[in-house]
Amino acid sequence: MGTINAALSITTQALDADQAALNVVANNVANANTPGYTTETPNFQENQPLEIGGVSYGDGVTETGATSVRDRVLTERLNQQQQLASSTGAQLTALNTVQALFTPDSGSSSAQAGDISSDLTGFFSSFSSLEANPANNSLREEVLSSASTLASDVSNAAASLNSQRSALDQEAGGVTSQVNSLTSAIAQLDQQIQSTSPDADAGTLEDQRQQDLSQLSQLIGVNQITTENNGISVTTTAGQLLVSEGQSFQLTTGSVDGVTHFFVGGADITAALASGGGQLGGYLTARDRDIPSVLGSLDQLAQSVSTQVNALNNVGTDLVGDDGNAGDIFSEPAQLAGSAAAMSVVMTDPNHIAAAGAGLGTGDNSNATAMAGLAAQTIVNGETPTNFYANFVSQLGAMVSNVQTENTAANASVTQLQTQSNALSSVNLNDEASAMSTFERSYQAASQVFTMLNTVMASVLNLGEQATVS
Amino acid sequence: MRVDPSYVTNLVGSLDDAQANQQQLTAELSSGVSITSLSQNPVASGENVLLLNQIQQDDSFTQSSNLVTGQLQVADSTLGSVVSQLTQAISLATQANNGTQNASDVKSISSQISGILDEVQSLANTSYQGQYIFSGGQTSTTPFTTSNGTSPAVTAYNGDSDINYLVTPNGQKIQLNVPGSKIFLGAGANSVFGALNALVADYASGTVDTAQAVSDTTALSTAMGYVSQQRVTIDNSISQVTAAGDAVTSAQTQLTSAQTNLMQADVGQVSTELSLSETQQTALEDVIAQLESQSNDLFSKLQ
Repeated sequence: MGTINAALSITTQALDADQAALNVVANNVANANTPGYTTETPNFQENQPLEIGGVSYGDGVTETGATSVRDRVLTERLNQQQQLASSTGAQLTALNTVQALFTPDSGSSSAQAGDISSDLTGFFSSFSSLEANPANNSLREEVLSSASTLASDVSNAAASLNSQRSALDQEAGGVTSQVNSLTSAIAQLDQQIQSTSPDADAGTLEDQRQQDLSQLSQLIGVNQITTENNGISVTTTAGQLLVSEGQSFQLTTGSVDGVTHFFVGGADITAALASGGGQLGGYLTARDRDIPSVLGSLDQLAQSVSTQVNALNNVGTDLVGDDGNAGDIFSEPAQLAGSAAAMSVVMTDPNHIAAAGAGLGTGDNSNATAMAGLAAQTIVNGETPTNFYANFVSQLGAMVSNVQTENTAANASVTQLQTQSNALSSVNLNDEASAMSTFERSYQAASQVFTMLNTVMASVLNLGEQATVS
Repeated sequence: MRVDPSYVTNLVGSLDDAQANQQQLTAELSSGVSITSLSQNPVASGENVLLLNQIQQDDSFTQSSNLVTGQLQVADSTLGSVVSQLTQAISLATQANNGTQNASDVKSISSQISGILDEVQSLANTSYQGQYIFSGGQTSTTPFTTSNGTSPAVTAYNGDSDINYLVTPNGQKIQLNVPGSKIFLGAGANSVFGALNALVADYASGTVDTAQAVSDTTALSTAMGYVSQQRVTIDNSISQVTAAGDAVTSAQTQLTSAQTNLMQADVGQVSTELSLSETQQTALEDVIAQLESQSNDLFSKLQ
């Protein structure tokens, strides 16, 4: 049979439990804007009932602490999308700088400075003009000056690409220290979580660990694996361990062939990181794939134009009578790589332009016609120089546009997942207000019950006599 | 169902997007160009390169055609003068051959024809912008020189038989010159200088070997006919250059309009998009302001 004392004890426990619950609400409200904080709900637990004479009596409630409201699958999914979004974001920034070098010409009468396509046409057209009057000095000067414009625009573009590449290299190297400090922090948190909370959600510690993982996901591509005692292992997307059993493995850098490479232990994981995701993945993709491919196209263009024009100039007859040995117009590229950066005009005397055919008089124009005709010949990778450049421009545009689309999609996905995650885990002040009212009311009710029990107790103590105990 | 309590952040994101969009549209309006970066329209960017290339080539051909037209016209008028000189020589020769002239008249005709010979030779040595136009590819060598050591004297050709062509943007080859040897030293009876030198020799002594003189006169008129024929080649080239120039100009007009259509911003469309984007921005701002100003928080209702 339950006693009044037992009821008083139940009420006291209820008051304690409600206070504890209000404490959880207050903590939620206090951390409403704390990054990484996960909203907590108080846990009420029914006490073990008492069996007295075969009858079961309830024994009140206990507040057993708060539980963080989180969905680890959702968080991990968000992290993965974040890796993709950061990677494409970093790549897009790099590519936007690249494509700014090749802004489309609006077609106004004065060609834009640095426009390689109009330089190419201008150069070959200067030979067409020379056809009209092959001995004319000003037309010959025009050939050399349009050749210099072409060569300097191509080599400037290549130089800009190279400097963008080394800027990306530096940025990529800078990510390493952030990654290392995050993995050490995760390893430390892991140890704490394993020792304090091996079989339940670790609350605030878990919040911090998730926050670090989310930051790490912005930097590089990672996978996480939950291990025993609530610990986690973090690996790169290619499987290289970064954190395991409360221990972190540092990412180190070293220079290989003039660019920064990344190592864990002794293993070079640069290529795996490039395709892995995160900012670092984006930087490395732009540095090792996108910019080299753009440079490669420019190299092909520069090499083909230089060697073909030089070859033709060396079979013709120039104005001073050199037949078959008029010399090079462009510096002859030694190899494909670096041709664009090294493109320059070596001819200084316009009289050495071999406008006349082999063995013909200096007034002949057949070699000038042949050189002008290079513009319509498939001399660059099976295409005419202008078609090659047009395709190059389209491909570059398509590449940037693809990355843009991927980035937009990844960002939309991140936003969506973030919304879902926020809906679940962030502090909703309305919910907190309602919970606070509920617990407050519950506390008030318990107080009332206590007061009533107190009155009942007084009646019992007075045994029907008035006012001895009030 | 629980909702994301930080939805205002998402609205601010949309507001940023709207502003970025307006910035892009304003840039299009102010520059008049609809494609300001390759990724906006990769295909059109490539197409633009090809169109501009053709326009630029056409431009360059128009300039070249002006240059060659000048040279061809000089050649044409020179040959015109040659023909009139030769006509005069033939009429002098016919006069000498009719047997009514005395010896001193014949001698005088000889020296007149010799003068014509000099004149024709200097015409054949005409240059344009410092380059001989009738010496084939040897444009810095005087094409014709006469040596008086023999009788009749011999006029030699020092040029070559090289022919230059101008290639139009659509690949047509237009002949730019006729080598002097072909005009003035045509084979056999077609040689202008051969016939003139022979006539000078025929009349030099004052007595005329009529049969020889008549034959040489006939040779001169054949040679003159041949010069006229070569002149037709030059005339054809002039009209070809003109026709090619016209074709190129009209192609250029079409290409320019195609290029403009491709790249130019449609002001009406861009303005409409801009105004839509502005409306969206205003709406977003209103929504945000409303949400922020309202104390729509349950805490504010609790007493």
